[in-house]
Amino acid sequence: METEVCIVGAGAAGGILAWELARRGVRVVILESGPRHDFRQRREYVRRYLKHENPWRTPLRELDRHTVGGATPYHLEWRRARGVGGSTLHWEGYALRLHADDFRLRSLYGIADDWPISYQDLEPYYAGAENALGVAGAADDPWASPRSTPFPLPPFPFSYTDRLFAPACRSLGIAFHHMPQARNSVDYGGRPQCRACGTCHVCPTGAKASVDLTHIPQAEATGNALVLTGATVLRLDVDRSGQASAAVYARPDKVERRLTARVFVIAAGAVETARLLLLSTAPAFPDGLANRSGLVGKLFMSHPSLEVTGRASEKVYPYRIGFSTAMSRQFAVERGRATHGAFFLEFMNSAGPTPDQIAVASDQWGEALRKQVREEFGRRLGIRIYCEQLPDRANAVSLNTRVRDYYGNPAPHLQQNVGSYERQALDEAKEVVGKILAAMGLTDIRPSSLMFAAHQIGTHRMGADPGTSVVDANLRAHDVPNLYLVGSGCFVTASSSPPTLTIAALAIRAAEHIAVRLRSAGHAAPGRSLHDNEPITSLQHEDLTLSARE
Amino acid sequence: MTRRILLQRLLLILGIDLAGLMRSRSAHAVNAASLPDPAVFDPPLKTETLSRAEMGDLIAFAEVLVEGRRLTLAERKYLVEHIEERTKRTTGYLALYQLTVSTLRRLVGRRFGSLEISKRIDLVARHRLGTAQVWPGEDLGPFPEGMRAIRTRAVPDLIGGYYGSPAGWAVVGYTTFPGRCEDLTRYVRAES
Repeated sequence: METEVCIVGAGAAGGILAWELARRGVRVVILESGPRHDFRQRREYVRRYLKHENPWRTPLRELDRHTVGGATPYHLEWRRARGVGGSTLHWEGYALRLHADDFRLRSLYGIADDWPISYQDLEPYYAGAENALGVAGAADDPWASPRSTPFPLPPFPFSYTDRLFAPACRSLGIAFHHMPQARNSVDYGGRPQCRACGTCHVCPTGAKASVDLTHIPQAEATGNALVLTGATVLRLDVDRSGQASAAVYARPDKVERRLTARVFVIAAGAVETARLLLLSTAPAFPDGLANRSGLVGKLFMSHPSLEVTGRASEKVYPYRIGFSTAMSRQFAVERGRATHGAFFLEFMNSAGPTPDQIAVASDQWGEALRKQVREEFGRRLGIRIYCEQLPDRANAVSLNTRVRDYYGNPAPHLQQNVGSYERQALDEAKEVVGKILAAMGLTDIRPSSLMFAAHQIGTHRMGADPGTSVVDANLRAHDVPNLYLVGSGCFVTASSSPPTLTIAALAIRAAEHIAVRLRSAGHAAPGRSLHDNEPITSLQHEDLTLSARE
Repeated sequence: MTRRILLQRLLLILGIDLAGLMRSRSAHAVNAASLPDPAVFDPPLKTETLSRAEMGDLIAFAEVLVEGRRLTLAERKYLVEHIEERTKRTTGYLALYQLTVSTLRRLVGRRFGSLEISKRIDLVARHRLGTAQVWPGEDLGPFPEGMRAIRTRAVPDLIGGYYGSPAGWAVVGYTTFPGRCEDLTRYVRAES
């Protein structure tokens, strides 16, 4: 089989890229390792989720084998989803832009490295991503970087608990503002308004944006995109000129098949993208494809996270929606980040145990149990902290040759340590949050143990120097001219914000670059846009040199 | 903890997406017929179930545990659904429930469900059957294996199943709760 662009992975990056290319007339095949989750099954998935099952788990368990190491291990279970939609199937929908400072940590604070692009470079693509995903928000974040367009949807109103947090924050001089989110506050993009189902891990209505709803069907409808599910890419082959020549993939029958293409895009998440590159060795790439820098898999990051909760004297009515409506970015930007790590605060609408958790933890039964559940439920308020993790070469994704996946390939091994920079930031964050909760009159204030967000970042970072980065500013691999690596793996630093909107913006930008390259070779035709909202083009295509193949 | 044992199987069938294929076939020279058949990876659901009498006894025990009173038909239905799902989908639960019922019958000398609610409550209190915690060296009576299984596994399972159901949310005054979609504006105000 042959196509113009082969995309590995149908998640946020791959799905958006597919649409952006297909609408421009580029023929695309997406190889997706997981299944297509039937939207009509979401009610059943909700039921499973409420039974504490992970409904997005792949049926082929051996595909998800992985090992972990380090002082603060990072497990992937519940933190990724395999299938059409990828992690947007289960994400919380928080759609924040990075701050302009997040792109310039080296220049401003002398730590980590700068991105090869600025916030201003990405801003038009953020606007496009917000329109395509349908982001609800308000321009009330004093620490947000400038926007060229308003949020496409009005914000979700502040919750009952937000109105308990807000006065305490005000009294302490802490900013309190709306959480931008890719979730319909009103009908948008053919999807309905949120109906507060409370199970955003599985959105049963489609009000939360996920690319299996927002981008993949539109890409397929152009007639230019084909999604092959259950197609796991085992390696990329390269030809003698050093270009990627084929994606070798297999379906569960384990028969190897080849897909040839002019351009290859790996968009399989920071872990699997790095693993696929490391698996794709060749005489010219003995340490893995596009890995002459030795950085593939290195500099893995996430967001160390904590929840701090306290007990209220009155009921606070949690678990009526599944997402938070307020946040504070005050501690994430414009501070001495050389010594003070960035963190942002999510004011949780649901904290504390659910009725079944109270009941099971109780040693009561009968009428006494009922009374205890009634009395205990709905008395805890909480704030979640997301902290920036700096890149560290010791934190990495590598191949574990002692553990094999379903196809016999080495499983990924994740090494993860949280350093003193992050721990100091978490300590400061706990202190700030403790003050907020104390100002609210809460008692029994307790932090949770250290957790990690379901954000996998780094492993093939972008940069101008092929010696210190894997891809360039357009996400093209330095070492392989017809290979692009798209997703949060290309982030240079993690910021403290959720990565998905930036993944989307970078995917749109990369698609534009790829389409221009192909168009100049006479392959692509003019197309159409999602929601009639064409992202503004500001990219300077400095390198339009096409390969001999093109 | 017993109730944290997760149900393990998805029902999805992994296969080629024919709908997507058909939509795009005009643009690609892909022959759907040449692609392999979808493969099924999940084991079939278990068909063996509790007998009507066993289910009746188990519910009679559960209603003592969860509320200490006779449940309404609707409340009992949530328990039945929980038990049926466990027996169908998770290995070991059918045997656990059957052991629970048989141990209760041996304790009572007849069907547990034939006892009045007050007698059932007395029995649960006397044998500490509602307490999941088993202390080291605790005397578990004449049927220690069954008693241990009831207290450490069946009790938390039945309690968790009930309080995770709409009946459990009703106890805390919620008529809508996670999984039941309704009014988006409800979250901005206190419950009445």
